[in-house]
Amino acid sequence: MQHERVVANLVFLNVDGVECRYGSVKVLEDVSLSVKGGDFVGILGPNGSGKTTLLKSISRSLKPHKGTILLNEADIYSLKSVDVAKQMAVVPQDTSIGFNFAALDIVLMGRNPHMKRFQMESEKDMAVARKVMNLTNIWHLAERPINELSGGEKQRVIIARALAQEPKILLLDEPLTHLDIVNQLEIMDLIKDLCVKEKLIVLAVFHDFNLAARYCKSAIMLKDGKIFSAGSLAEVLTSENIKGVFNVDAIVNKHLVTNSIFVIPLSPQKACPSRECSIHLICGAGTGASLMKILLDEGYCVTAGVLNVLDTDFETAQFLKIPVATEAPFSSITEKTHKANLTMISKAGIVVLTSVPFGYANLQNLEAALDALEREIPLFVIEEVPVEKRDFTGGKAKALLTELKSKGAMFVKSQNELLSILNVSGEKLKTAREERAKLLDHLKPVKFIKKIK
Amino acid sequence: MSTDEVESTFFRRTSRWKLIVLLLVLALIITVIVSLNVGYAQIPFPDILGILGKQIPFLDRFIDSSLISSQNEAIVLEVRLPRIIAGVLIGAALAAAGVLYQGVFKNPMADSYVLGVSAGAAVGASVSILSGIGFVFFELRLVQVAAFIGALSAMFLVYNLSRVGSRVPVTTLLLCGIAVNFFLFAVVGLLEIIAANRLHDIVFWLMGGYSNVYWKDIWAILPFIIIGIVTAYFYARDLNLLAMGEETAHHLGVNVERSKQILLVLASLITAAAVSVCGLIGFVGLMIPHLTRLVIGPDHRILLPTSTIIGAIFLVLCDDLARVLSTPFVSVSTREWPVGIITMLFGAPFFIFLLKKKKQSYAA
Repeated sequence: MQHERVVANLVFLNVDGVECRYGSVKVLEDVSLSVKGGDFVGILGPNGSGKTTLLKSISRSLKPHKGTILLNEADIYSLKSVDVAKQMAVVPQDTSIGFNFAALDIVLMGRNPHMKRFQMESEKDMAVARKVMNLTNIWHLAERPINELSGGEKQRVIIARALAQEPKILLLDEPLTHLDIVNQLEIMDLIKDLCVKEKLIVLAVFHDFNLAARYCKSAIMLKDGKIFSAGSLAEVLTSENIKGVFNVDAIVNKHLVTNSIFVIPLSPQKACPSRECSIHLICGAGTGASLMKILLDEGYCVTAGVLNVLDTDFETAQFLKIPVATEAPFSSITEKTHKANLTMISKAGIVVLTSVPFGYANLQNLEAALDALEREIPLFVIEEVPVEKRDFTGGKAKALLTELKSKGAMFVKSQNELLSILNVSGEKLKTAREERAKLLDHLKPVKFIKKIK
Repeated sequence: MSTDEVESTFFRRTSRWKLIVLLLVLALIITVIVSLNVGYAQIPFPDILGILGKQIPFLDRFIDSSLISSQNEAIVLEVRLPRIIAGVLIGAALAAAGVLYQGVFKNPMADSYVLGVSAGAAVGASVSILSGIGFVFFELRLVQVAAFIGALSAMFLVYNLSRVGSRVPVTTLLLCGIAVNFFLFAVVGLLEIIAANRLHDIVFWLMGGYSNVYWKDIWAILPFIIIGIVTAYFYARDLNLLAMGEETAHHLGVNVERSKQILLVLASLITAAAVSVCGLIGFVGLMIPHLTRLVIGPDHRILLPTSTIIGAIFLVLCDDLARVLSTPFVSVSTREWPVGIITMLFGAPFFIFLLKKKKQSYAA
């Protein structure tokens, strides 16, 4: 009996085959989803994909042309405004307020659906208002006029007003636009908490994948008004889906600390190589990662090798779909991969050697560089770090580098110098540096593991 | 500030509101009585109280009516009192309508004439003045009936023109109102050109005034204004929520389109009733709500009643001023100064003074 009552109290929201139009333009087509109390659903998608329209149709602001939206079995458009407002609250994108009400007055407006027409605010309404204002940490602003508050404080007032409705369903349309990072986390933690404890349905539009990943249990991704992908967060938030919907390459990974998925979008990539010349990179340990990206962006064909599986540069190359001569993790280069590397080098127009640290495991890559010179392929050596500091072979690597120099390798001080020799514009260099920083940041955990080894 | 303090301040607000309304009602009564003393004929103050007292059942037994001249009694009861009561009603009506319009439109420039009500009334009045027909409808002059009908027709025209499907977006409504206003005032302009010897009457009607009002005029408009304002008060909380934006009001459980429709019709009805008697009196509908909001705050549950009473007091005082100021010029012109001129001449500078003083908190 007790159990049944709990189930009966659980709120259900069913969106079935909804189609919305503005005039003759379809903005939502055949959207269906089914959520119940306790679900935290992220709505993702690029601008104009129908996210806000979906929320509007659920909040009864835009009646769909087709399909139904059921709130606990009842068609939401057959209910009275006031009855819906008892169950559903909305935190809108735009929060302009006409007249200068005090914060408390505005939060108490959230009690409107629970008040009769002539009723004034009761002790109970005040208690609810105080509770939600304490939760959102704005009780001390109760008597301040809303227009004197900062953007973040205002946003908290609006969220408190929504919570004062004591809703079962909370619709959030980019609720964090005005908040700084601390505020974002505080508010989302609070909402997540309510979602779990009070069995709220939360439907939230996010632009930030990482916030969505941190709080949502499931998500739907919209593209051109249709559901592109729906399901658990891990199913929806994949680099394939992000590529398919946003046309942006992104690294999707699980964070070691928060254990939530995290996404690093990269700037849109050029579709195909525009230059005849191909460049082979001899790199490793992250020294070639950003170079790979910028050379690709510049239109070169890029290859790399020999790289160990799990190496930062290997992962970057995988991600950027660069052909690589690979070796097993943490193993010395075998004759077989060395040969494969030499084949790649023989097809390259230019070979670049980065300031990768050398140990016995990858010493053979220097011999590959030597091979390039013997085939009269121009070799650039980037010497960002003096060879002494990265030679872990007791001088063998240094000796080989000296030999390279004597045989005509061109030494450059930095990646930038190389790029300017390769006629890359200055603007491009700047973004290359930023990308590099991002990538390095992202890939730190991998490097860390390597060091332990 | 401690939790308890905030809460108790809040709950004390209700009784503070009641006190404010009570004080304002008192101020209104005093204004009315004092205003009875203003005018060309000098009537001693005790006489005025005696005349009023005689009208009240039970109280009349204690008043010695032999001391009061019947002429003075007629002046007070048939000339001054209807005029002052008309001032009370019209001031209240215009101010209340202003509150409703500004609330619904969320626009500080909205006034009681925003939906073309004034222009419609002006066309109706001009046509009837031009026709020169002394037609009487239920003892009311044609110009009144025509103004009332003109006002309401213009409002319905604007409302229906701006309808998009089942909704009436506020922006369209505002723009339509402005366009119709211009059009109808152009019509009034044309009528003025062909008006010849009746031009003076039209111009005077447009300036606004109610110097020759009778009890029957008051009985005619009283129900519209009282019922209108009282009904509108039921929607005071909806107005607060509408101030948050229509979308938000909808999310907070307001049936937005219906509330808006009811409020606009009520406001227009109140305005039309007032305008039919007094012509176009500017400033009251626009500025009294603002002025009250500056002092009282934005909550419509207190803003509506206080604005209504302040509007009444304001218009009665302006009318007193009109009478006092025009007395020295009686020999020059047979006309009194129109009260519409006074409201703007004295109200506007006072409002600017208040705005300057409080502009910090008012800058929204």
